[in-house]
Amino acid sequence: MSDKPLTSEIVIEAKGLKKFFGSKSVLKGIDLTVFQSEVVAIIGRSGSGKSTLLRCLNGLEAFQEGSVRINGAELKTNNAQTLRALRQQIGMIFQSFNLFPHLSVGENLMLAPHLVHKKTKNELSTQAINLLKRVGLEEKFHAFPDELSGGQQQRVAIARALAMGPSILLCDEITSALDPELVSEVLQVVESLAQEGMTLLMVTHEMNFAKKVSHRVIFMHEGRVHEEGSSIDLFTNPKTTELKQFLSSI
Amino acid sequence: MDNAIYSGRDVVEFSIWDVLRNLLLAARWTVALSLITFAAGGLVAIILVLIRNRTDRWGKHVVVLYVQLFQGTPLLMQLFLAYFGLSALGFQISAWGAASLALTLYCSAFLSEIWHGCIQAVSKGQWEASACLALNWAEQMRYIILPQAIKLAIPPTVGFMVQAVKATALASVIGFIELTKAGTMIANATFKPFMVFSIIGVLYFCLCYPISRYARSLERKMNVR
Repeated sequence: MSDKPLTSEIVIEAKGLKKFFGSKSVLKGIDLTVFQSEVVAIIGRSGSGKSTLLRCLNGLEAFQEGSVRINGAELKTNNAQTLRALRQQIGMIFQSFNLFPHLSVGENLMLAPHLVHKKTKNELSTQAINLLKRVGLEEKFHAFPDELSGGQQQRVAIARALAMGPSILLCDEITSALDPELVSEVLQVVESLAQEGMTLLMVTHEMNFAKKVSHRVIFMHEGRVHEEGSSIDLFTNPKTTELKQFLSSI
Repeated sequence: MDNAIYSGRDVVEFSIWDVLRNLLLAARWTVALSLITFAAGGLVAIILVLIRNRTDRWGKHVVVLYVQLFQGTPLLMQLFLAYFGLSALGFQISAWGAASLALTLYCSAFLSEIWHGCIQAVSKGQWEASACLALNWAEQMRYIILPQAIKLAIPPTVGFMVQAVKATALASVIGFIELTKAGTMIANATFKPFMVFSIIGVLYFCLCYPISRYARSLERKMNVR
């Protein structure tokens, strides 16, 4: 767990969030509050709505009912201008990395700050090199994504998200597509971010990691927050039968 | 006697050079028609792709209907309609104009379908990742999606361009004098259809082969990065 004390400042606030795919209800009224520098793990079976919740928080998915506030500003999925502002504060890392295959690692890191923040070439390359150092890949600046291992690609993806200077990072099963021996190098980076005070909201199947790093764990079941609490409470003393079943099945 | 036609009292002989020269002159119109078709057809196709990507449901339906209409009917019929149909409606249109119009519509339908497919083929994750980096639609298109889509689009686009060069031959049916029409006239005058159409074949090949070759080198260049 991070040594930094939590402030009481709310950075993510979702109220009564409901989401349907056609007639299928995926999120059935989610209330979620995340404080600054808090690390929250979301666990649950596939299809429980974990990823959808994450994707609603940065506007990748539209929701039908409820509201989301990021750093106090209301999220409106139909307003490109406010979405653009919001997405500079909230980064996302995907299961499938989604690096831009036609750009080098350095270009992957520099493109968005160049277009959105209008930084100069020098600033951009200095920042990119520093970020690559931070994830241990400074020698890969000129490499292309398909020349990297999965773990390396995911670390570049993290660096790319950090290049926009977000205060919140959403991690959507970021180690699920990795070979087992590559998982720890990515988790180490995430852990160091948590220690530096980044607000992290992560959907994960790495229970040991969730236990070790997160302040709070949320168990989702059938589109609802079924149980939540500190990571110690939730893992050692689950209250609902669904969570007990889930924990025993993994 | 076979090799001559009577023109008044004189027998006119055609040498191979005469035939070739006249075919080459006519080939200019094939080239011109092809270029107009690519340029105008490509432009209309870009507009169609934009409409299809940027508008809500009705815009998509209109474009899909347009594509189905021009892909699902013979080009020959489209040429007839553009030429005789428009003049029957009171619009005076030259064979040149009608051929350009029909081929442009035809090409734009095929090209827009090809290009739309190539944009669709870029994975959804690329859209999402670039959206999460706060890029707007135009930036996503320009820097992320199009560079990947264009690479996919080269082989089918060139394949279709080669088809389109050959399709210009159909414009001969409305009296537009391009390579094929000129060839038919010369064959009738010289009574040497085999020679004339062989030359025509070689000329079409000379037009199409460089396009394919260029496409292959372009593909190779883009794969190298």
